[in-house]
Amino acid sequence: MEYLYIVMISLGIYVILASSFNFVIGEAGLISIAHPAFFATGAYVSAIAALRYGVPIPLAMLLAVVVTFLVSVIISLPALRVSGDYLMIASIGFQLGLIELLKNLAITGGAGGLSGIPSFLVPQIGNGGYAAVVWACAIAVVLVLRYITRSDYGRAMSAMRDDELAFASLGRNPMWVKLWVIGLASAIAGFAGALYAHFFRFMEPDQFDVLQSAALLTMVVVGGMRTSLGPVVGAVLLQILPQAITFLNLPPSVLGPLQGILFTGLVLGFMFFRPRGIVRMDPVWKGALQDAPASGGTHVRGA
Amino acid sequence: MVTFSRLNRRQILSAGAAFGATMAMGGGQAGAQAGTFRFGLAMPLTGPQALYGADQIQAAQWGVADINAAGGVNGKKLDMIVLDTQADPNVGIQAMNRLINVDKVPVYITAWSAVVKAAAPLANDSKTLQIVVGANAPSISKLGDYVYTSYPLADVDLIALLKYMYGEGKKTAGVLYVNNETGISAAEIYRDAFTAMGGKIVAYEAFDPKATDFTGPILKARASGADMIHIQGQVSDTPQIIAQMRQLGIKQTISSYSAIFHPKFIQSLGAAAEGVVVTSLAPSPEVSADVAKYVQRWVKEKGREPNGLPYTQYLYDAPYLVAKIFEKLDKDGTAITGTSMRQAMLDIKTFHLPLTGQVDILPDHTVKKPVDLMQVKGGKWERITTIGT
Amino acid sequence: MFDLATIMQILWTSVATSSYYVLFALSFALALKVNKVFNFTQAAVMSVAFYTAYGCVQLLDWPAFIALPLALVAALVLSWFIEVFGFSILRERKVEMLFVFIFTFMVSQLTVYLISLAFGTWSHTIFQSMFWPVTLVGPIAISGWDIPALVVAFGSAAILFAFLRFSRWGQFMVAVSDNPDLAELYGIEKRKVYLLTILIAGALAAIGMFLYGMRAQVQPRTSLDLMLFATVATIIGGIGNLFGALIAAVGLAVIQNASILFISSEWQAFLVYAILFATIIFLPGGLRMPKFGTRFETKTREISLAEETPSAPPSTRAE
Repeated sequence: MEYLYIVMISLGIYVILASSFNFVIGEAGLISIAHPAFFATGAYVSAIAALRYGVPIPLAMLLAVVVTFLVSVIISLPALRVSGDYLMIASIGFQLGLIELLKNLAITGGAGGLSGIPSFLVPQIGNGGYAAVVWACAIAVVLVLRYITRSDYGRAMSAMRDDELAFASLGRNPMWVKLWVIGLASAIAGFAGALYAHFFRFMEPDQFDVLQSAALLTMVVVGGMRTSLGPVVGAVLLQILPQAITFLNLPPSVLGPLQGILFTGLVLGFMFFRPRGIVRMDPVWKGALQDAPASGGTHVRGA
Repeated sequence: MVTFSRLNRRQILSAGAAFGATMAMGGGQAGAQAGTFRFGLAMPLTGPQALYGADQIQAAQWGVADINAAGGVNGKKLDMIVLDTQADPNVGIQAMNRLINVDKVPVYITAWSAVVKAAAPLANDSKTLQIVVGANAPSISKLGDYVYTSYPLADVDLIALLKYMYGEGKKTAGVLYVNNETGISAAEIYRDAFTAMGGKIVAYEAFDPKATDFTGPILKARASGADMIHIQGQVSDTPQIIAQMRQLGIKQTISSYSAIFHPKFIQSLGAAAEGVVVTSLAPSPEVSADVAKYVQRWVKEKGREPNGLPYTQYLYDAPYLVAKIFEKLDKDGTAITGTSMRQAMLDIKTFHLPLTGQVDILPDHTVKKPVDLMQVKGGKWERITTIGT
Repeated sequence: MFDLATIMQILWTSVATSSYYVLFALSFALALKVNKVFNFTQAAVMSVAFYTAYGCVQLLDWPAFIALPLALVAALVLSWFIEVFGFSILRERKVEMLFVFIFTFMVSQLTVYLISLAFGTWSHTIFQSMFWPVTLVGPIAISGWDIPALVVAFGSAAILFAFLRFSRWGQFMVAVSDNPDLAELYGIEKRKVYLLTILIAGALAAIGMFLYGMRAQVQPRTSLDLMLFATVATIIGGIGNLFGALIAAVGLAVIQNASILFISSEWQAFLVYAILFATIIFLPGGLRMPKFGTRFETKTREISLAEETPSAPPSTRAE
């Protein structure tokens, strides 16, 4: 059971991350891959506040959420001057820069990472209790984001994503929408970071690099972008698959590379044979915005 | 589009079923292997660090096979479960989670500082003995009650190296170190120890783990005019750094640490390798007949010598170390748990191991061990001296 | 603290090491300019080029004049495969830029794993020794690798520029990069141009990798790190500007090495990323600022990325 609890905790955290990442990249169409950077910000702020300054953990976690929100908004103010590919590259620059910063500061424990982070709730309620807390948070995040995307505000977001010029000409300010989307999603990622830090009690800067972005991106895309359940399914699948492979009892020299080959091969297979992910886009609110026939175009099987 | 919700459910169910199946397989496996002594080994099989991990696992597997072929532990077989950590803390945590909670091992062996540190809370909480073999960050001795090492931490070999160098009349030193944990902490030990001996550090330069050219740091070291230059780098970049140092006209003695002690180092550098001094924490084939035989086994079965020979010697010996602990507990009739393993290990204290010789595992989570200093002479590694601690 | 000789030496070595960076950056910039892709599969091509060369020279004992052309062919075959069975399908489907990014990234990762399986993860050089003899010119040490590498790199660059400027197919490439639909109206076969571009980019990357692999050790993951530098150079040079990418590659190599005189070496990597972030935000497009679409194939909008939404005007969606 303990094994399952720890797997579930890690899964729940990835569900939170993938869902909030989908909110930025899918729902709002802002191609920033720096989501792990905000995950890192939350994790480090909460851990440092609790470890170095003795801040009570719930307060430290709250602080992590606030600081992550502020950092994301401040960095987005200039960054959102650009969009599309430019934004993606800018976000890579920001993310890698932040990792270098974390490696070179003394307060973060540097490249060797931060250990001895105080644990939260586990001594009282055990791993099972913590898993329940993480999953309650994950479900809440999924539901809240689903509610927002289906509300009037969500419709405004997708309108902005689909046609920013028209959106702006209606007198709405796309910048405010973008800032709010990034701020909210980053704050959620920061919260996930705090949940991570106080359970696993160690982290190092390299954990939050571009590979982590690729993993999140894969979860969202394989699961189904612009759906509420897609990122959940993607996160569950891509976290469990590598675990499942370890149970096949293969010889070590094959096991390692094989795991990577299956993982990347699966993603490539999905891209070509089921390009819209496991969970299809929800037609309810998409349909209200545009004519349906356009959705058939990408479903053709190739080669 | 009506199928949308049904599809979700089916997909989620199948994902759940897959996971259930993996759990069932794990459970079945745990039940099938009663009557054996089971322990875990978690090493990088993929990722940039796998160049060491794979050979270390091979060595450990030979260790287990040899123990079992010689009758096992009190007649019972040793059973080692191998998992990949990718030297990544997240993957490492999941690997240890499986070893501790599914396979229920009382002890597991692992390495690589980030993994060792990330897994330490799991080991301490579950009272599972974590034996670190190969990672050498000094902070490892402070990770908690259940984290021990059988491999000397960085202070042991660097201080031995400095004692020798200082004795040879080197009074000023330059340090080039890779900007990651191993590099930073080892460079600090080197600096502090040398300063304490009365030496002077005249250049202290970091380089990026992904750097492809080292002219800048090297020229800074050259400009300092140090008597010797120490490189605390990675296996993959150190030969190039030394090549560039020689090309840039650095004639001083160059030293490095135990990771550089392998035959390929001399091959890739040729004459530029002459005179380089490194530490070795395990007897070399020239000194020990057993090690020579072990190297021959590599050449015979794999067609080459192992990557990072001394590390693989430690890994070959790790199952012997574990077996000794199992043997004691089994003889005493003590229940085998992480706690009893830990106590038995400290009670035994001195282990005599086939390929690395004697090692003392101390209650303060460090070990005591003599250090060989090796130098490239005439295109071969030669032992110049052994420094006891 | 630093005399003239030291500074000259740093300048010389950085210019020499920029030779492979120039090739990597040109390869990356070319695919971006003509095919409109951030072609991270370049890392896969680089790895295949290196490991074929290494395998032939060290494992099979073949002479370099056979091994290197063979490795170049291997790189071209892989490039062809990626274009025909990857990019062209994605292009037909008009998938989102994001998908292309994931595709290229996964291909390069997959190659890393396949190569680890085939060759192991120990680091290698193409020839057994990586040490090059040194000639002293005044106080400056010039290694036997430096000048041939510079000649090869800048020679290749010159041939590329001449090809784009004077040859018929080169002009087609430029035309397609400016406006693929218009080019097609004029009878240029886009598919062939895209394939040719990917092949040329693959060749440049392979040659760069030969230069790199004769001087430094390569692991299966090395090409990913090298490519990131190419990305930075391409961005700073200005998307669509090959000459800009070349200059940026040389400039970055010099800055990275020379900055150690002023900035502690721990902060060098941070410096590169900060430059990247600032350049793209405040000088998007680097030296000049071409329009660049987010959607693979269509190049009308920067904002849209909806896969299913007919955000672009119908005329540009028609194939």
